[in-house]
Amino acid sequence: MEMNVTRRQFLKLSGAVAATLAVVELGFNENEAKAKANSFKIAGLKPTPTICPYCAVGCGILVYSKDNTVVYTEGDPDHPINEGALCSKGTTVRQVYTSDRRQEKPMYRAAGSSKWEEVEWDWALDKVAQKMKETRDRTFQTMENGVTVNKTEAIACMGGAALDNEETYLLSKLMRAGMGLTYIEHQARI
Amino acid sequence: MAAEYLKFVDVTKCDGCRACMVACKNWNDLPPEYEEFQGSIQSHEQLTAHTWNVLTFNEQETTNGGFEWLFRHQSCLHCVQAGCEKACPEDAISHTKFGSVVVDADKCVGCGYCVQGCQFNVISLATYKDKRGKEYRKAQKCTLCTDRLEQGLQPACVTACHTDCLIYDEREAVLSEANSRLLQVKDRFPNANIYNPQGIKGTTTVYLLADKPSVYGLPENPKVALSQVVWKDYAQPIGKAMLGVTTMAVIGAVISNSIAKVKNGDKGVDHHE
Repeated sequence: MEMNVTRRQFLKLSGAVAATLAVVELGFNENEAKAKANSFKIAGLKPTPTICPYCAVGCGILVYSKDNTVVYTEGDPDHPINEGALCSKGTTVRQVYTSDRRQEKPMYRAAGSSKWEEVEWDWALDKVAQKMKETRDRTFQTMENGVTVNKTEAIACMGGAALDNEETYLLSKLMRAGMGLTYIEHQARI
Repeated sequence: MAAEYLKFVDVTKCDGCRACMVACKNWNDLPPEYEEFQGSIQSHEQLTAHTWNVLTFNEQETTNGGFEWLFRHQSCLHCVQAGCEKACPEDAISHTKFGSVVVDADKCVGCGYCVQGCQFNVISLATYKDKRGKEYRKAQKCTLCTDRLEQGLQPACVTACHTDCLIYDEREAVLSEANSRLLQVKDRFPNANIYNPQGIKGTTTVYLLADKPSVYGLPENPKVALSQVVWKDYAQPIGKAMLGVTTMAVIGAVISNSIAKVKNGDKGVDHHE
């Protein structure tokens, strides 16, 4: 197809194109567009200090939460034990709350059953209490080799690193003095 | 532009805990990437668009027949003369005032030239889907946590490190610390060296390596190809300038022609055609 463009028209046209291109190329505010980082995701959030639930070191962690979910966790720089640092496991602590594999209700598998079923907390705690009492009463020894022992060897108690000093004290008091357990351990020692 | 602050990675202090990797994912909300067991304790084979930070485990035999791991915190080095930046045709990659090299996602068109331009295999393309299900790609890599630096915080990987293998500090402090640590480890690692390649005018992440850079898969003397420097620093600006000059010339010609037309009356119109 033949285009009837005069030399003058051609010059006008190319001038207009070049002018448009020049505006596009040179007209942007470079400073504004330069190095645009993401918005600061913990802006304005107040961190809640907590203790890492994993090993026995007990590192301090700051939890930044927003709209009822955790957006970020990091080592607490003011904590005397870890001074802001964390191991790879402690760094993942956010997933304890946010993971979609998190179990939010107690699960119960009846003896002989192959299925787990969701149960209520009250029911589960009652069941545990009932079983503990029953086992303790069934296996309780008052004397061994002529010595008063008042113990049961049928139950063991395991503490976890998420427990603080006072909770651990109360737990061992309950288990030793109340229930008569001898096998009392802590996750951090095994 | 040399940065006032540097990130320092002393691989001889690293114990391979990988907290820096997790801290990076945690701060940047990067999705997990599951990989098959590769026969080594290293978790991920290489850096990807969603894994900006990989701890490499280099298995080495010692001179007396023993076994040794060489660890390296691998992430973007933020080169002062960055190959990715030079390769980018859209000016989407730039340096911040912290010396970090960042990608402007609004400008990135996903062409992948930066992937070719990077000699450290750091930058790569992530694929996303828009609302209509159409796929598009954007270059992604470590930002040196520029958003944290802007708020006066340290990069996430540095805050997580518990052995002071990672340090973010003033330039002079980092370089003198690097030199004193180099002297301390020379007995144990005779090939130890400070990796701050001058061929690319230095990097914003300075390494103290226990062995030659090539042992860690790093180029011994990286350089940005001359053709790319010429293209980005000379050809493109001159081209833009020429465009401006041409535009002005054309506009000037149109104006002067119009003036000439008015002067010459109707006579001048036709003889051009």
